[in-house]
Amino acid sequence: MSTPQPLSGPSGQVPIPGEDVSSGATMSRRSLPASLLVGAGLVVVIAVVALVSFLWTPHDPLLVQGAQRLQGPSGEFWFGTDRFGRDVFSRLMYGARTTLLVGVVAVGIAGLIGTPLGVLMGSSPRVIGEAVMRFNDLLLAFPALLLAVMFGAVYGSSTLTAMVAIGIATIPVFARVARSGTLQVLSSDYALAARSAGRTKLAIAVRHVLPNISGLVIVQASVSFAIAVLAEAALSFLGFGTQPPTPSWGRMLQEAQELVAVRPSQAVAPGLAIALAVLGFNLLGDGLRDRLDPRLDDRRGTG
Amino acid sequence: MLVQLTKRTLLLLASLVLASVLVFWFLSVLPGDPAQVALGTGATPEAVAEMQERFGTDRPLTVQYLDWVSGLPVGDFGVSYVTGATIGPLIVDRLMVSLWLVGAGMLVALVIAVPLGTLSAVHHRRPLGTVLAGVSQVGIAIPNFLAGILLIGLVAVSWRLLPAGGWVPPAQDPVEFLRRLLLPALALGIIEGAVLARYVRSTVLNVLREDFLRTARAKGLTPARALVRHGLRNAAVPVVTILGLQLAVLLVGAVVVERVFVIPGLGSLLLDGVANRDLLLVQGVVMVLVLAVLLLNYLVDVLYTALDPRLRAAA
Amino acid sequence: MARSVRTILIGLAFALVLAACDAGDTVDPDEATDPVDDVDGEPDEDDTDDDVDEDEVADDGEDVAGLSIGFAAEPASLDFSTDDGAAIPEALLVNVYEPLVKIDQEGEIVPVLAESYEVSDDNTVYDFYLEEGVTFSNGDPFDADAVAFSIERVQQDWTIGLASQMDIVEDVEVVDDLHARVTLAEPSNNWLFSMTTRIGAMFSPDGVDGLDEQAIGTGPYLVDDFARGDRIDLVRNDDYWGEAPDFNDVTLRYFGDPNALNNAMLADDIDLIGTVQAPEGLSQFEDDDRFEVIEGTSEGQVVLSFNHDREVFEDQRVRQAIRQAIDRESVMETSWGGYGELIGSMVPPTDPWYEDLTDVHPYDPEAAEALLEEAGAGDLELDFRVPNLPYAVNAAQTVQSQLAAVGIDAEIDLLEFPAVWLDEVFTEGDYDMSVINHVEPRDIAQYGNPDFYWAYDNPEVQDLLEEADRGDEETFAENYREVARIISEDAASDWLFLAPNLMVANERVGGVPENNVGEMFDLTVLERT
Repeated sequence: MSTPQPLSGPSGQVPIPGEDVSSGATMSRRSLPASLLVGAGLVVVIAVVALVSFLWTPHDPLLVQGAQRLQGPSGEFWFGTDRFGRDVFSRLMYGARTTLLVGVVAVGIAGLIGTPLGVLMGSSPRVIGEAVMRFNDLLLAFPALLLAVMFGAVYGSSTLTAMVAIGIATIPVFARVARSGTLQVLSSDYALAARSAGRTKLAIAVRHVLPNISGLVIVQASVSFAIAVLAEAALSFLGFGTQPPTPSWGRMLQEAQELVAVRPSQAVAPGLAIALAVLGFNLLGDGLRDRLDPRLDDRRGTG
Repeated sequence: MLVQLTKRTLLLLASLVLASVLVFWFLSVLPGDPAQVALGTGATPEAVAEMQERFGTDRPLTVQYLDWVSGLPVGDFGVSYVTGATIGPLIVDRLMVSLWLVGAGMLVALVIAVPLGTLSAVHHRRPLGTVLAGVSQVGIAIPNFLAGILLIGLVAVSWRLLPAGGWVPPAQDPVEFLRRLLLPALALGIIEGAVLARYVRSTVLNVLREDFLRTARAKGLTPARALVRHGLRNAAVPVVTILGLQLAVLLVGAVVVERVFVIPGLGSLLLDGVANRDLLLVQGVVMVLVLAVLLLNYLVDVLYTALDPRLRAAA
Repeated sequence: MARSVRTILIGLAFALVLAACDAGDTVDPDEATDPVDDVDGEPDEDDTDDDVDEDEVADDGEDVAGLSIGFAAEPASLDFSTDDGAAIPEALLVNVYEPLVKIDQEGEIVPVLAESYEVSDDNTVYDFYLEEGVTFSNGDPFDADAVAFSIERVQQDWTIGLASQMDIVEDVEVVDDLHARVTLAEPSNNWLFSMTTRIGAMFSPDGVDGLDEQAIGTGPYLVDDFARGDRIDLVRNDDYWGEAPDFNDVTLRYFGDPNALNNAMLADDIDLIGTVQAPEGLSQFEDDDRFEVIEGTSEGQVVLSFNHDREVFEDQRVRQAIRQAIDRESVMETSWGGYGELIGSMVPPTDPWYEDLTDVHPYDPEAAEALLEEAGAGDLELDFRVPNLPYAVNAAQTVQSQLAAVGIDAEIDLLEFPAVWLDEVFTEGDYDMSVINHVEPRDIAQYGNPDFYWAYDNPEVQDLLEEADRGDEETFAENYREVARIISEDAASDWLFLAPNLMVANERVGGVPENNVGEMFDLTVLERT
């Protein structure tokens, strides 16, 4: 996995710096639409394709037809057929479903567990928070790929084990983001005021912190989504992710590898799909980040 | 400072112990009997039982764990169930291969990232800067195995300029070593370069806004001069930090690239180990990878504390 | 959207240009070595002596005469007595360890270390007369004592399953230095045949320590270096008793990934692909006059196995319905690129008792549906547990799609091969249906073994097979033919196709053994061209 950002371990400690958060509002207003629009556009296209695939695909993505194998692009088969005579375009559409499913579940697991964990870490007494933090760091040392290979070895490889592994590996990233957001909010004036009014840290956290860090979490979700897409592709490519015959872009790429010199289009199509999805979610994350209050920029989480 | 160091070192050790428990516990539920695999399809139950006894897989888990973990500090990872080979030297051999690959990949990444990131920062808010930032965004989105497949397809198969894969140790034939290292290093490094370029860009951007650069420019230096004379050194600290952390990411990311290029590195060893249910081998490799990540984290932390006075004061 | 696409393409192009520049630099030094050679030696007399030239270069570690052969499956160790992997005898048998007898390309048993042999009329006493002047690579002489030692060692120390075929040996008598007499406990037609496999390999009594790292045999090659997971370097044995092989140095290289193997060949990195595992890419070789594609036969039947312990498969009609639901032609196309041969039972056409049974239960989805209905198995759900080997995964997807067409839901579950598949399917028998290539010669006998993983229990078949092994050659062939027909009609399994033996060679190498017979890849027959 060329997983750039937090997922694969320690880089979670140094999140990718935002696209000039501190450069001021004028800048943001001018550059924001580009990345946000392109990113959101790509994501919407993929989501629409995935939804349409439930209702309609040009051909049955699973139907093996030996007589039609390895055809080039044509009016009937827009992106040609694979070695089984299955329609590549229909499989790409179905693959979008797999990709989004993995992303949603993995990011869901990570966000729903990681965020509250991070808030707790930030709002609990120092010693406990610190200890949980250390354990969190330890989990960061188990990258998604390693976890998924281990999960696959123990429980058998499937889309489920892949997305659970990716999700678990991403928990610490969310926890870190939420924790540093929490610490910042808790040191703000109104939080201090609330404290002096006798509220517990936890009560303040629920009341003030969660709404305030939601932006951060959403940005992280978008970036993590991109990483999850890459991770699923890599795992399926290695055979540890989605199992055949269910279409998955990584698996399609792996199956096309044998044909790359004969039918390069078969490798290019799923490859492009992966790249566009990752690009879409990364740009979306960047665009959203630019929108955020610079004060919430998570420079370096360790306090 | 010394207190900090001691604290961090103790933390590292505690993490390692905990990690070893996690790894062992998790993998000990691995299905598939290694003795059966080694003996093949016609083996008698007696032979299988005898082999289990020889490997010690019939003992209680805690005993097996203590036996395994006590060997780790001296590099004794046990003996492979499947091949009968001592695992320690095997891991060291493969780790060396992976380190070459990761090192070369990082070099490629730096060669790409530093100019790309700096240029796009200097040309910030101008067309070139935007284009370069876009290029690095696109680079990040490409899986390294796709880059690998395409490089093989073009450079090795179509143009026949370089071998499509395989490995020759540097001591055996340095030229051949480089020829075989180049494509996988590119596949790994191009993508990583795109990732790093973003860090370089924003670091340089931050430095550009620092007061001392403004002063330098006020004194009449051009932006580029000012940057080279004062800025890059300041930008280097965070970049080097990230490099360390990204090294660990690359080591794991190399697993897929090793598979595509048939490189006998740690990643291939791990995947083969899983396919053969070579439990101790898998345990050993996972442990080494986790150790590498933790150790790099630790070093970066220590370095960071040492280098950055603000952080030192804060801690 | 369009712009993003273009940017990606530009990005890739950029990357590739970078690669190309670097590549140019590294190629140069290689070319530069030629002039250096010319300066050292005599530049003009090109054809003085090939051998001198070779040896010179060999000293530099770059042997022009060396041959590089690529395989897919790598050996985990060098010890085939304790490790079942097929890659070890493939590399070492005949080439490093020689047996008394081997199988030739026509499937006949021919002498190697036994100059000749005699078999008693009742098939129980075998007299082997040994070649004279043969030594092991550790200097020990090869004699009848070594034969006795090797055979007894199989019985005592070998741990792999195959070793049980030596159980039938009652006694090995050393008549004189060059005459060993083996007595079997009961007559067997299969024993001599099994002596052509690894269990017939001859070891030196002083050369069996550390077998996983070193190999001491009498063969034409010595193991020079074994780099696990990567390669085995073989060098010519200068003291070899027989005719010296053509190639001085042979490197066997292992590519875990079948595509990587093809790519290495395309990039001129190896001279020969031992077994092509990614046949879809073969057209690249066929269209290129640098290469010759060699297609021979193997003994590997790709079997769709039914677990007869499962209730669903008790009904012959269900099994027959599955056979009739599958278009094997199409399976062969998608699984092995259309190479291979259709077979109707567990016998390769190279066996003398082969009979064309491809018309038994032909492809007929309607008949299949009718049969299923008749058997009351309308909504059949099957646990289709498949090893994660490329051909098996491909075949399984086609089979699944075709079964779905007649209303059978076969859920594919991929298992890592070898470990998990061996454990769960082969040993535990926890499966309904599976696919695997059975490469062992004469493995039709497994239909007489109710403990085998497909649990086929047919007394008639068992009796026929038992009688065959004890009887004369004629009975043997007749009974085997009979068994092949019975299991086919009974739909004991479905035999999808016979795996081809596909190889690709470049112009440097000739005499490539076309058929994959026995356990070895015989390097001695290769010729330099």
